[in-house]
Amino acid sequence: MRGRARGPSPLPERAARLWRTLGAVFVLLVFVPPLLLLVSGSLTEPGLPPSPTPQLVPEPLSTTGYERALDLGGLLRASLNSLLVAVVAVPLSVLVAALAGFALARIAPRVTAVVVAASLVALMVPATALLVPRFAIFRLLGLTDTLVPLIAPALLGTSPLYVLVYYLAFRALPADLYDACLVEDLSPLRTWWRVALPLVRPVTAGLTALTFVLTWSNFLDPLIYIYDRELFTLPLALRSLSLLDPTNFPVFLAGAVIAMVPALVVFALAQRRFLHHDDRSEG
Amino acid sequence: MSASGAAPGRRAARPVRSPDTRARRQLALMLTPYLIGLVGLVLVPALVTLGMSVTDYDLLRPPTWAGLDNFAALLDDPIFRVALLNSVVFALVAVPLRVLLALGLALLLHRRAAGVGTARTATLLPTAVPEIAYGLLWLWLFNPLYGPINQLLRVGGENGLTVLGRTPPQWLTDPTSARAGIILMSLFTMGETFVVLLAARRALPRDVYEMAAIEDATGWDVFRRITLPLMAPVLALLAVRDAVASLHFTFVPAFVVTDGGPPPYATTYLSLFVYQTGFEYLRYGYAAAATLVMMLLTVAAVLVQWRLIRRYRRFYQV
Amino acid sequence: MSDGLVLDGVSAAYRDTTVLHEVDLSVARGELLVVLGPSGAGKSTVLRVVAGLEPVTAGRVRIAGRDVTEERPGRRNVSMVFQSYALFPHLTVVENIAFGLEVRDIPRRLARERARAAAETVGCAGLLDRRPGQLSGGERQRVALARALVREPDVFLLDEPLSNLDLALRAEMRTELRALHDRIGATMVHVTHDQTEALVLADRIAVLRDGRVEQVGTPDEIWRTPASSFVARFVGSPAMNLLPADGPLRPRGDAPTLTDEALLEIGFRPEAVALDSTEGTPATVDRVEVIGADAFAYLRLAAGQQVVARVPAARRPDRGATVRLDVRWADTHLFHAATGRRYQP
Repeated sequence: MRGRARGPSPLPERAARLWRTLGAVFVLLVFVPPLLLLVSGSLTEPGLPPSPTPQLVPEPLSTTGYERALDLGGLLRASLNSLLVAVVAVPLSVLVAALAGFALARIAPRVTAVVVAASLVALMVPATALLVPRFAIFRLLGLTDTLVPLIAPALLGTSPLYVLVYYLAFRALPADLYDACLVEDLSPLRTWWRVALPLVRPVTAGLTALTFVLTWSNFLDPLIYIYDRELFTLPLALRSLSLLDPTNFPVFLAGAVIAMVPALVVFALAQRRFLHHDDRSEG
Repeated sequence: MSASGAAPGRRAARPVRSPDTRARRQLALMLTPYLIGLVGLVLVPALVTLGMSVTDYDLLRPPTWAGLDNFAALLDDPIFRVALLNSVVFALVAVPLRVLLALGLALLLHRRAAGVGTARTATLLPTAVPEIAYGLLWLWLFNPLYGPINQLLRVGGENGLTVLGRTPPQWLTDPTSARAGIILMSLFTMGETFVVLLAARRALPRDVYEMAAIEDATGWDVFRRITLPLMAPVLALLAVRDAVASLHFTFVPAFVVTDGGPPPYATTYLSLFVYQTGFEYLRYGYAAAATLVMMLLTVAAVLVQWRLIRRYRRFYQV
Repeated sequence: MSDGLVLDGVSAAYRDTTVLHEVDLSVARGELLVVLGPSGAGKSTVLRVVAGLEPVTAGRVRIAGRDVTEERPGRRNVSMVFQSYALFPHLTVVENIAFGLEVRDIPRRLARERARAAAETVGCAGLLDRRPGQLSGGERQRVALARALVREPDVFLLDEPLSNLDLALRAEMRTELRALHDRIGATMVHVTHDQTEALVLADRIAVLRDGRVEQVGTPDEIWRTPASSFVARFVGSPAMNLLPADGPLRPRGDAPTLTDEALLEIGFRPEAVALDSTEGTPATVDRVEVIGADAFAYLRLAAGQQVVARVPAARRPDRGATVRLDVRWADTHLFHAATGRRYQP
């Protein structure tokens, strides 16, 4: 008889947990090694003949790769450029998305329907499909070889998806709260700032992190818009570093680690927002 | 304000909407930046593509009218045909694998247990790594000589052979291996799909599973008769979405890891074709025509998705 | 007389359905009007129209003598207690109460001071630094009241504020709400579907049905002279008995002059029925519900009509027994069968 228990598989609950843990360990064994190998490869002494057996901890341990990467690739300068783009684009992008999402939740339903439909279509268009025409437009405006085209996607909220996420979050707030704001004579802008935005803080945190990761990792846009080495962002500098000497892998792996770390750190800070919201209690 | 209170009689039944123009103007203002982005970065470029596709244009000299020449040339262009085929094959092989993997992981990791949280994070890590860094990593992993994959395969073997006495795969120089390699790379980056499926699985009603437990259904029955049908709409939508996205995310691997090769154009996908045509050979009109083909594929996918949504809506009476 | 609030022929619609039909209501300054009705009667719409959250399709709304029909909600000087209380979860109690003042650019210190005073008035002064998520239902209710109070508005609007409380707390808050009103003397409109709440709280009650005002009157008037059979049956539990006037039951005493009995209905409350007579109309006891000291006997007359009688539990009849029931003319109400309106002999 299993009918008495509450859970789906009650009696073997412990066994089930054990199996799930084993599964989790397996997942870890598949997904983590590539990144560990990346770090280990970056710490290998450049120029040594390949070792006959795979080594997780290289022998000898060396930071020469990092020194050369910073030297040869101008990664420091590129990091600053990337940072500059992120500092401007990320807040702007989140701001645009939050404003638009709020407006969509509060404006006339007909307007909302049209904009949401347009956003869904825009969401489906692959970025590479817009490469050529966007380039032509920016070139016409004389904005190629500047950082402007790298910041411009912020006007889309980086991805229309983020606007839609904000829209859903704002729409999910109780209607009474908005009515209470009306009774208190709050304008939409102040309602957004004083009431709505503070209530969706987890959404803002999550989207800010994702926006940062996307902006930081953007490779395609710099590739077509930037030629001046002084303006190279980190992904682009990394690419030219790898072309410099394709066989000298510790150097470009070190560069890859440098590019990866900020994205992973920000992502790690934010991931619990969208991965572990198991038991949300409503206040 | 009118002379209020004077007339006790009924007024004409005209709708009196409080004309709060201030509020409406503010809301419109809040939406404007995004609308500018939507029009300027998506709508106008899409129209420009249409215009450019009927011209010869190298961005230096003014464009010249070409009519449908570009499209005719595309039909005859063997490289384009290969690229189109590669893209379609990739979508047909890699996308189902990616969605299935994400589904498996979501089902495995949707309930709590020791280590599950960490495993969820680990699943997303490769997706969070910058594309170019990820590409360079695999460039090294696949390296036949230095790469850890072949090092591993050679363990126990002699003279650079595997334990079975065969040569390890020449990942980036053999067409089939290169294609397989790019698919393998793409499998690790299904994080977004995984997150959505994880949320979808968690949103399924608990009592349905309790009911199944009371009926003593086996795990396979539960999966086949409950989980799969309930998640089918999400799975279908994600698959279409992923197929469209694959037009885009094949670019960096093909560009960085295989450089479109090995010959003959084994991993040249549409995205790489468009990039090379436009930005390396400066044939922007021709590239725009190829872009248009890509957009048509997207439109087809959107239509499929739209039909799916409508069908499931009727099905579940949402 | 000084008007607190006047609705003059107000109609309102949701999409294409008219939910209020030319509603006339006036609330004197300092009066507590309870809008009572079943769900879907348009009670909340009345409040939302007054607050300006819902547009009118016809008619005017005047608050304190000022036509506010085309003013936006924030300019009407009303405050509202929502059914869900609509407390801002991210603000502390004192911030919630002071919110309306602070957004109107009243200096922070002054706003906080007044918030504290308002909290004192409703008895939630001990909660000022907590957040809504840490409060019980009753405490949230008090905070919502304080928030409505602090701005000293022309009209208070309360949208079923007690419906989310458990029974005991509801009775307690009901009494407190009445005491609060007596203390501050504010103009209040309180919406509820609970007739007890209406009878206890109101200076006057407006009974709403299908978007029309059925009757406006003091609780006594509503109870003693219901203007229609709908009001008669909606107020009182169990509902008033209604039988054809020419039917099986003949009340005792001096009968009023009835012009056309066949078109009338006769109504009497369960407590007006006496079961201990020897003459009376015979009926069978279908079932008996005992509620503490009282019992409700559900009776079936020979012709099949049902009648509820309230009797002391100690003297309740047995199920299946035959009893004789009696009603005095003085305890009855007469209604037109066709329209439900009250019949005045």
